[in-house]
Amino acid sequence: MSSLSPIWELIKLELKLEWRMKYALAGAILYVFTTIFVLYTTLQNEQTIPWNALFWMVALFITVNAVTKSFASSGSSDNLYLYQLSSAHQVIIAKIIYNLFLVFALLLLSYAAFSLFIVNPIQHNNLFLLTIFLGSIGFSLVLTFVSAISNKTKNNAVFMAILGFPLIIPIILSLVKLTEKALESSSKEYLNDIAILAAIDFILFGVILILFPFLWKD
Amino acid sequence: MKKHWWKALAVLIVIYAIIAGLLIPLKPGILQIKQSGINSGQVITTEVNTYNTSYKVGDKVDAYLKINDKVKLYSTSSQILDKAKLKLSFDVPALLPQVKSFDYTLVMVDAKHGPFLRPSAVTLKQERVDIEKALSSWPKQNEVALKFVDGTKFPFRAVLYESIRNTFYHVPMWFAMVFILLAAMIYSIKYLRKPKSSYDIAARSLTAIGVLLGVLGCLTGSVWAKGTWGTWWTFQEIKLNVSAIALLIYFAYFILRSAIQDDEQKARVASVYNIFAFVAMVPLLFVVPRMVASSLHPGNGGNPGFGGEDLDNTLRMVFYPAIIGWTLFSFWLAQLLYRYELLREKVEEEFD
Repeated sequence: MSSLSPIWELIKLELKLEWRMKYALAGAILYVFTTIFVLYTTLQNEQTIPWNALFWMVALFITVNAVTKSFASSGSSDNLYLYQLSSAHQVIIAKIIYNLFLVFALLLLSYAAFSLFIVNPIQHNNLFLLTIFLGSIGFSLVLTFVSAISNKTKNNAVFMAILGFPLIIPIILSLVKLTEKALESSSKEYLNDIAILAAIDFILFGVILILFPFLWKD
Repeated sequence: MKKHWWKALAVLIVIYAIIAGLLIPLKPGILQIKQSGINSGQVITTEVNTYNTSYKVGDKVDAYLKINDKVKLYSTSSQILDKAKLKLSFDVPALLPQVKSFDYTLVMVDAKHGPFLRPSAVTLKQERVDIEKALSSWPKQNEVALKFVDGTKFPFRAVLYESIRNTFYHVPMWFAMVFILLAAMIYSIKYLRKPKSSYDIAARSLTAIGVLLGVLGCLTGSVWAKGTWGTWWTFQEIKLNVSAIALLIYFAYFILRSAIQDDEQKARVASVYNIFAFVAMVPLLFVVPRMVASSLHPGNGGNPGFGGEDLDNTLRMVFYPAIIGWTLFSFWLAQLLYRYELLREKVEEEFD
């Protein structure tokens, strides 16, 4: 029995540590909530297979993981060096553009993998590619910025979820809507949705340009 | 006292909205109809349960079924059973100028209550359809003049009934939330322009009250949904989803604050996030619900909006002041919280 009690104590310690960092737990719960929420909203309108839902679910997790490191990897001394070399605007624009290409490439790759291993039910290929591109812009904007914010906390990965997921759901909802139209054979009225998505991307970009310098000047 | 007039105004308006919102009665309406048969070519009697009416035996009540845009079928007799119940009989011709089976609108008119109606109230079925013949042999009857009775009354809506009064609580909560969060964003901008800790405290207090209003909006909506849609909460409803996400965005604001140690850095990062959150919330609340076709909320997905015919003048008389009143009241709450936080900070500084 005596060999078990240290284990029990260690479990209690883990529990205490978890409780001390409540936001870590909140992040995990948010992961669950967001996953199921996005699946749920997309599954409702799906008659055949949950292709739409699966695709954007996978896209969300891939991009969050890919973008998380954009500020975390460079230590504070690296940041200081960057700060001397260039302005805040140059830094954030460079990071956003890099992440845009990264996310776009990853999404194209998952589209290819989906078509190869599962199925490709997309009827309007060009519309879907445009959707992926607009989505990449939105993902890259929001997640790069959130990465800059969560880098100020100690628990970078958790805050990517806590801050990023609620902010990204509106973009995913409109992407799912557009994908639905790309899935239909006779889709016409998608220009409006594209305009809305592009407008959201544009506004977010403007706000990020204004706000980033305040995060940068440590 | 000069600085505080708006608080007194807030209290007065809120009291007015509560009292007027509870005391003004609904217009008369039709609750329930029991009909003796559905086949055409016979006399059909219907027992009509009405609401907010006060019939007396001997009152003359006219009633008709709207068959189509041109033709009406008037009742042959009406009998008052009690003050809210009456019996109408219709001599239905064998041929109706309509499709085979149809739910007709019942309109009732009398001098005391004016006209009121219920759509899809009476179902009639006919053996065969011959619109030409039906129209040529349609019984001629005296047209009843629709004389409206003026009065300060809220509209009677099937499904909503008395719960229409929740308009003065549920909707203003969301209006007030958006105004309060807008103010929180403005104080966050002020902080970034000039880092005074009082700005940060103001932004934080306003955000807290905004979240409180969002929660209250969800609760009042939940009660309303239970009464009208039959469920406390449904994820099939886009507006419920987006408001839940909007609340998550602002919960994250407080989680973010708790995770940064340095006070100055905390205030700065929180301000940046607050501004970004508001900008992200606007398309979420106002654009995304319009992209999604189906919604149970009025004004969405083909439902009639509050506006036009639904928002009548009596409703407006209470609804608009309620928005102003609750918004001012919320600003007062936020100011109280701000002053409390300011004092607490002072006390903590003195003890350090």
